Amino acid sequence: MNVAGFLVAQSLNALSQAAILFFIACGLTLIFGIMRIINFAHGSLFMLGAYVGYSTVAWTGSFWPSLIIAPLVVGMIGGTFEKLLLARLYARRDSGAYLMVTFGLAIILAETIRLTWGPQPLSIPIPDRLRGIVLISNQPFPIYRLFLIGMGSAAAVLTWQFLERTRAGLLVRAVSQNAEMVHALGTDVNAVRTGVFALGCAMAALGGVLSAPLMTAFLGMGSNVIIDGFVIVIIGGMGSFLGSIIGSVLVGFVQVFGSYYFEDLALAMMYLLMLAILIVRPGGMLGKEE
Amino acid sequence: MKESTQTRLSRRSLFRAASGAAAMLASPALLRVAAAATPIKVGIPTVITGGYAVLGSHVMRTCKLVDKMMGGKGVLGRPIEFLYRDTQGNPADCVRKSQELVERDDCRLITGVVVSSEARAIMPKLAEWKAFFISHGCGDGLLTTKEFLVPNFFRANTSAPMGARTLALYLKDAPEQNFIALGSDYAWGRSSVGAFEEQIKAVGKKLVDKVFTPVGNKDYSTYITKLIQSGAQGCYLALQGDEARSFFLQATQYELPKRLRLFTEIVAQADIRTFGKDAIGMVGSSRYAFTYDVPENKKFTEAFLAEYKEIPDWTDGEMYQALHILFAAIEKADSVEADKLVAAMENLEVSSVKGPILMRQCDHQGENQGFVVKVAASSKYPEPIPEIVKIYPREMITPDCLSTSYKTTG
Amino acid sequence: MHGRIVLAVSAVVMCATAPILPAFTLTLLTEALIFGLFAMSLDLMVGYTRLYSFGHAAAYGLGAYSTALLLIHFGLPLPIGILAGVAVSVVIAVPIAWVCTRSTGVSFAMLTLAFAQLGYAMLYRFKEFTGGSDGIGGIPRPAGPFGLDFFQGKIGYFYVVVFCLTASFFLCTVLITSPFGAVLAGIRENETKMRALGYNTRAYKIAVVVVAYGLGSLAGALYTPFAGFVAPELFFWLVSGRVLIMVVVGGAGTLIGPIIGGVFFVMLEHQLSEVTELWPLVFGAIFIAFVMLAPEGIWGLLTRYVRAMLPAPRGEAGQEASSAAS
Repeated sequence: MNVAGFLVAQSLNALSQAAILFFIACGLTLIFGIMRIINFAHGSLFMLGAYVGYSTVAWTGSFWPSLIIAPLVVGMIGGTFEKLLLARLYARRDSGAYLMVTFGLAIILAETIRLTWGPQPLSIPIPDRLRGIVLISNQPFPIYRLFLIGMGSAAAVLTWQFLERTRAGLLVRAVSQNAEMVHALGTDVNAVRTGVFALGCAMAALGGVLSAPLMTAFLGMGSNVIIDGFVIVIIGGMGSFLGSIIGSVLVGFVQVFGSYYFEDLALAMMYLLMLAILIVRPGGMLGKEE
Repeated sequence: MKESTQTRLSRRSLFRAASGAAAMLASPALLRVAAAATPIKVGIPTVITGGYAVLGSHVMRTCKLVDKMMGGKGVLGRPIEFLYRDTQGNPADCVRKSQELVERDDCRLITGVVVSSEARAIMPKLAEWKAFFISHGCGDGLLTTKEFLVPNFFRANTSAPMGARTLALYLKDAPEQNFIALGSDYAWGRSSVGAFEEQIKAVGKKLVDKVFTPVGNKDYSTYITKLIQSGAQGCYLALQGDEARSFFLQATQYELPKRLRLFTEIVAQADIRTFGKDAIGMVGSSRYAFTYDVPENKKFTEAFLAEYKEIPDWTDGEMYQALHILFAAIEKADSVEADKLVAAMENLEVSSVKGPILMRQCDHQGENQGFVVKVAASSKYPEPIPEIVKIYPREMITPDCLSTSYKTTG
Repeated sequence: MHGRIVLAVSAVVMCATAPILPAFTLTLLTEALIFGLFAMSLDLMVGYTRLYSFGHAAAYGLGAYSTALLLIHFGLPLPIGILAGVAVSVVIAVPIAWVCTRSTGVSFAMLTLAFAQLGYAMLYRFKEFTGGSDGIGGIPRPAGPFGLDFFQGKIGYFYVVVFCLTASFFLCTVLITSPFGAVLAGIRENETKMRALGYNTRAYKIAVVVVAYGLGSLAGALYTPFAGFVAPELFFWLVSGRVLIMVVVGGAGTLIGPIIGGVFFVMLEHQLSEVTELWPLVFGAIFIAFVMLAPEGIWGLLTRYVRAMLPAPRGEAGQEASSAAS
């Protein structure tokens, strides 16, 4: 067995997993940065994206529209939820309440999905243009996974540019640092919050659509993935966008190489890493201390 | 005066609220008691939601078909009543739901349990519940060994060691020399891979490595890469439900079948349907092959196709067989009491959809033939079907008593 | 105050009627009370000290597995097995509490979650020992010291659970009404101020977390001989979420409220899941409704309703009633 070939193949696997994880972690961390809440419904929104994606594909006969429609639909649902329910809790200054309301939403969403689409897993076929493999270092690697890595990277770059270079991004960063000041300066902070929440949900949904061709849209997708999301956000730092990128890549590699070498330990290693980082830096690696 | 009215009102409303709450909590139970008391109740704690939900849905549809086929006549002049419960594949929930069936619904016949860990969880309680459990599809070899076997448990289906043995015997004449095995990391998967390891060595071939994937795992990229780089020529798979589907989808994306031949311990029609043309050529041992030409199977398959317009899957066939054997034992015992059923089922022989089945006395394992199938395109059906390529006699396939091993190599 | 009376009366009524209740109701009630105890233990953290935990399943799971392993491998008599299981869990809870209390708020919640998930993962790692995803079955209820064996039966075990619940409740009440409890209340309202006043708030928080884990592990330890089976799902974060729901819906900060929440939800879940497929939807909706509209929970609503109804001649409610009467 060729060592270089092995490393390359598994690293690519890790990056493809990291790409999906990034879509979840990015949204989670942005929402935390703005609202100081951990959105428990994020996993269910990811799952909703996959299912809406499936319906879009079934309706239009093509994969590509779902990449736009699913995030749009789920983003709107997320934004509505924030406006109707979460916004009322801000006055309460009770962090526990958000955790619980988003947890309740997670349950309701999961059930609604089951009732709407049924219990059978639904498959989204890979579009023809993305079928097949490429040989990298003599190892086969599916083109679709390269596409995933590409989409993840593109999303990371776009979000980064948005935060650094645009006025809206500037507002987002400002609100996450000092909401009251921004409000005093005349900006509608509530609108910023709704927007960021919707954006986070949309990203999770996009992650869901993209992962469906790999593993079908199935119930239980959400609860598996939400924990990974938390781990990443905590490792990378709550509220830190760069942290969500680093965290996703780190967790992707730990999962792939961990399960290769230490089958039994793979699961535990992620949580050990999370604990180790939290012990040293309670806000996560690059995070703002809570 | 107003005060005392208020007091009376408040006490009355409190009482009303309390009795209302009590009634709400008790009502389903009352409704159930009011129903007929004569039917024979068969409890089906199965997977209705969860990763193995497809298997549970098959269990239920076959039960409903059997119900229909019996036309209300039932056994011993009593109609059969199936009680379905959702365990989500969770052993703890299976214990809970089974206990409910026994204590609340007075139902002491249990079948339709999908996951081997669930079986392991309820078997120790059967004596206390005075309940009888016949497995239709639990494959863990250990269930019929000294460690886990209990008197009130019987297994009608092909077990994982039997499936592994069937495939290993077949592979003895195959061109591949080196194999690798991949199984789901729980009771059944470990049993299946372990048995295959033993059997493939017994026929003189090599097992290069064995890999276990976490239950519920979705991304198989790491493992697929491991398989590709192992240098093996064939891969033995012990995966079911969502896991089997995800694995195969991704394996096809990596073009794994071009590099090694995949063999599976279980061939599921539901999976074949999902993969379509990609499934053609897949070889596996099949717990039930709908094309097997015996009268009982013809009868079953025709009724099934007429009712559901779908090819019966392996769970359908095995569930039918288990019910067939259960009802035969009830007739023979003229009772539904556990002790009498045990005595009646031991040494019971039945002409089933899989051929002649003997329920062994020594370890309550049903002696089944072994079928090897190959998925091929079909002109008769809209999807590929598993065609029987070899059948092994039951004496060759069923392990030694109370064991998962075989004294003879075959 | 009313909580103590309600609990005492309910305990007596339940024990008296136990011999005549149908077998299944007794089984359900036993499980409901175990969950009630589990919820009450979390209330110490959430309701009295405002330490939101999303990892309380760890306490439950630790108690359940410790007791399971002790009963199977050492054949200890049941009461000893349960107590030993709790002792082991308390010892493990100390470093967990120490690490978690380094943070506050969301970080604290995430840390508790991390530990629970770590426990979950460890069960898979040491599967030869813990049975991995298959869990451990066939757990006995060995007769106790001095030939005690009444708890081997259903009714006897029910009495044991009622006893443990009542005893724990009174232990918590003593704790809450003591100076220790007063400090917790201070930490809940304004931790910075307490620290400024010279209290080592960290030590108090560690203490309350350990006690909460201890009682939570007692619930888990009681569950093991009851079900005869333990599985890794006991550690899963969904269990932590559920018990948090029970606390909030029951009424955080009241001890009796979460017990009611726990009992209410176990019974509701059983009945609803028979009647309708939609019960998780109803569950989630009820939960959100309580958080948004009735944060004081069931107990809070009950006490408000009762107080408004009864013409008690003391307090504002009494004055309203008497002024309405005259």
